[in-house]
Amino acid sequence: MIKLENISFDHCIKCTVCTIYCPVARATHHFPGPKQSGPDTERLRIKNPELLDDSLKYCTNCKRCEIACPSNVKIADIIQSSKWRYFKNVFRVRDFFLARTDLMGSVATRVSYLVNFFIKLFPVKFFLDRFMKIPSERRFPKYAQGTFLSWYNKHRKEQEAFAEKAVYFHGCYVNYNNHDLGKDVLTVLNAINVGVIVTDEKCCGVPLIANGYIDKARKNALFNIHSLEKSASAIGARIVSASSSCSFALKHEYPNLLEIDNSAILDDLDYITRFIHERFENGNVPAMKPVPVRAAYHSPCHLERMGGVMNTIEVLKKIPGLDLTILHSECCGIAGTYGFKKEYYKVAQKVGAELFKRIERVNPEIVITDCETCKWQIEMSTPYRVEHPVTVLARAIDGKKL
Amino acid sequence: MRYDCVIIGGGLSGITCGIRLAEKGASCAVISTGMSALHFSSGSIDLFGHEGEGKTVFRPFEFLDDFIGSNPLHPYARCGSSQIREALFYFRDQLGREDIDLYNNDDANHFHVTTLGTLKPTFFSQRSVFNEKIRQAFEKKSKIAALNFEGYRDFYPELAVINLKRNILFRNIEIISGKILYPDYGDPRRNPFEYRSIDIARIFDTERYLEDLAAQIRAAAGDAAFAAMPAFLGITNFKRHHQLLQQLTGLLIYEIPTLPPSILGMRIDNALKSRFAALGGVYIAGDTVKSGTISGGRLESVYTENGGASALGAGNFVLASGSFFSGGLVSEFSRVREPVFGLRVHSDAERSRWYAPEFFPRDGHPFLEYGVETDERLNPLTDDGQRIANLYCIGALLPHYNPIREGSGGGVAVSTGYRAAELILAGN
Ligand SMILES: Cc1cc2nc3c(=O)[nH]c(=O)nc-3n(C[C@H](O)[C@H](O)[C@H](O)COP(=O)(O)OP(=O)(O)OC[C@H]3O[C@@H](n4cnc5c(N)ncnc54)[C@H](O)[C@@H]3O)c2cc1C
Ligand code: SF4
Ligand code: SF4
Repeated sequence: MIKLENISFDHCIKCTVCTIYCPVARATHHFPGPKQSGPDTERLRIKNPELLDDSLKYCTNCKRCEIACPSNVKIADIIQSSKWRYFKNVFRVRDFFLARTDLMGSVATRVSYLVNFFIKLFPVKFFLDRFMKIPSERRFPKYAQGTFLSWYNKHRKEQEAFAEKAVYFHGCYVNYNNHDLGKDVLTVLNAINVGVIVTDEKCCGVPLIANGYIDKARKNALFNIHSLEKSASAIGARIVSASSSCSFALKHEYPNLLEIDNSAILDDLDYITRFIHERFENGNVPAMKPVPVRAAYHSPCHLERMGGVMNTIEVLKKIPGLDLTILHSECCGIAGTYGFKKEYYKVAQKVGAELFKRIERVNPEIVITDCETCKWQIEMSTPYRVEHPVTVLARAIDGKKL
Repeated sequence: MRYDCVIIGGGLSGITCGIRLAEKGASCAVISTGMSALHFSSGSIDLFGHEGEGKTVFRPFEFLDDFIGSNPLHPYARCGSSQIREALFYFRDQLGREDIDLYNNDDANHFHVTTLGTLKPTFFSQRSVFNEKIRQAFEKKSKIAALNFEGYRDFYPELAVINLKRNILFRNIEIISGKILYPDYGDPRRNPFEYRSIDIARIFDTERYLEDLAAQIRAAAGDAAFAAMPAFLGITNFKRHHQLLQQLTGLLIYEIPTLPPSILGMRIDNALKSRFAALGGVYIAGDTVKSGTISGGRLESVYTENGGASALGAGNFVLASGSFFSGGLVSEFSRVREPVFGLRVHSDAERSRWYAPEFFPRDGHPFLEYGVETDERLNPLTDDGQRIANLYCIGALLPHYNPIREGSGGGVAVSTGYRAAELILAGN
């Protein structure tokens, strides 16, 4: 049956502008591009799912096609939903593990030293490559010992004492891999007199969506909306996230892709730099020490789609001493779990090649970006260290070395 | 968030306006839903090509001096002919800084060859499309080779040659057509349905096959002095490739604009955005302005799809949201509407009068002349007749002109964009 509300493909005027701006179509001829994989063939798939073409799996869901489309066709949404609507769901161990960042994290953080040690060993890499189809070239993010949440719980009281508070959706990466980023969020928000409240949350769903676990993604979405709403409305707070992809999922993927009503939290959601920028604009700027570093800023695709890039740039511009170059907007190629899959690894690296070249031309001391997976990709593919804008801001505030 | 000026729509008119404002130190943000009409245009900037009876205009400025007096509602009349000139040459200068050299035949129009092999009067063209050497070669009646890439479906040199031969200017010029093989073409993995100008242009940006192609062009062109090819020289480094290819082949190489997506138009889009960013402008892509707060005859702030409840404030606003094609105007069954602020629109209530029965009517389709009604300061009126003093409407959104019949689209976009910037700067 054709659902009437889902006919944005009908607005397509076949101009091919989307395909021009698709980084994957540029990198490989195996992918016919957003126009063909999206609106062109969707009308066929609706009639007969057998007309499904395998090549649409190449799409990384970067959303660059949607930004370019003059006719507002939700091209990437069409492709993503076709992936899980029409492909038969075959269980793959690898995809299951890649999708379940929270499950993996909660186990790995108990034995992080072991996991971090083993994952680097040749036989393990060989096994992953050969049997799990995770390319041996791929470097993994390190797991932390324990969770961010357990650290936070020791500081909850101090945070609750602030008059103004924000609910912080920390996401899996901060919880299991990078506690420091979560701590930096506290440093920065506290410096502008905002307390940080953490509530119950589940993985935002981005890796689940990418790997076709839609029911699970929907469950998580409902849980998160409910939990965030309860916590935020109780104290009249806004909800912030420092991961551009989590933020994007909460705001856009829930209603557009998962078809879940997020209106209860939508108006309160802020990607963190927007929250900070707004306060800066109102004169609430903390005292900052110079951070005399030459940095190159890379804007993640999902932040671009949300229109949040300017906030990050404006916030970074306020840091004294920071010598900032804004890199031309390019996709880094990793697209969450995409770059962890052997069949796409080469494409992912080729997509990112232009960005890596541009970074090398600037030759900065650090790269700054808002997305954790962009960070993994750039750190793996170039010699440069990558930091989150909030981390750079936190160093300007606490004066510690970046 | 607050800027000195927020511009709605990132096409030719919006960014030209933004560049002028940013250059003068105003903080500016451009918000744009999607890519603009530049992606479909020839990449030449038309000023005025055809007058009322379809006669070609050779000296557009002279023509405009009279025309403006008798067409006071035309967007050009809102600018005045001296400011139109100032705007166009300002635009050329700005693109020059981004390494795009525009050719103009002093104050006269020149003609560029279209995909179909017809000649179109225009004011500025990229130098790979027209230049002095090409003009001289035409005058000497040198032989032309119209070449295409094997498998490229958006340009048919044979058809172009037939049409060109009908033109009196080409009657005594020998034109041959030929094909060259694009080195990657035989790749069986290549998707045959997506072999577009952009695919070719991308390979040129890598410079990988330049020598090979030069040899093929040489062979296919025989003893011709020109090679006319679909616009393909790449988007970022085309100037260098054009020079290299001319050196390697010893031929004059010129580019013919193709069906969309237009490489020539994308170069201009690229250059404008890059210039705007270099001047400190903020470009917000992929977001749509949904509504605004108007109070006391002023637009206080606007709201966007992504921004939700958080407002974007500014001292001045510019509406450069284009025509029907870009969503600046929307047609419903029995009315034409401006969707963001519900501004007063010039149109016809009777739907059957919106268009002419023929596809290419001599006088153009009436709907092309619909748009947002403004006063001479480009300020629009709300539906209930209230003037909005700090909102300026520019470009294809404006009524009372027909870009296709007149051949004036690019010129109107550039001059009204510049005009709005000047009005805003003068007001502060
Ligand atoms: C197919 C075609 C070919 C042409 N060829 C030529 C040519 O060869 N030479 C020439 O001189 N002229 C040509 N023109 C005319 C000329 O290109 C246009 O008149 C000119 O580019 C219009 O520019 P603009 O900035 O006013 O509008 P547009 O280029 O239409 O840009 C409007 C922008 O606003 C955005 N927008 C709309 N609504 C909103 C909103 N609510 N919020 C945010 N953004 C919004 C759109 O996404 C779009 O990017 C051509 C036009 C077309 C359509
Ligand atoms: S850009 Fe939009 S309208 Fe153009 S082909 Fe792609 S989906 Fe269709
Ligand atoms: S989402 Fe990205 S990869 Fe997928 S079609 Fe669009 S531009 Fe291409």
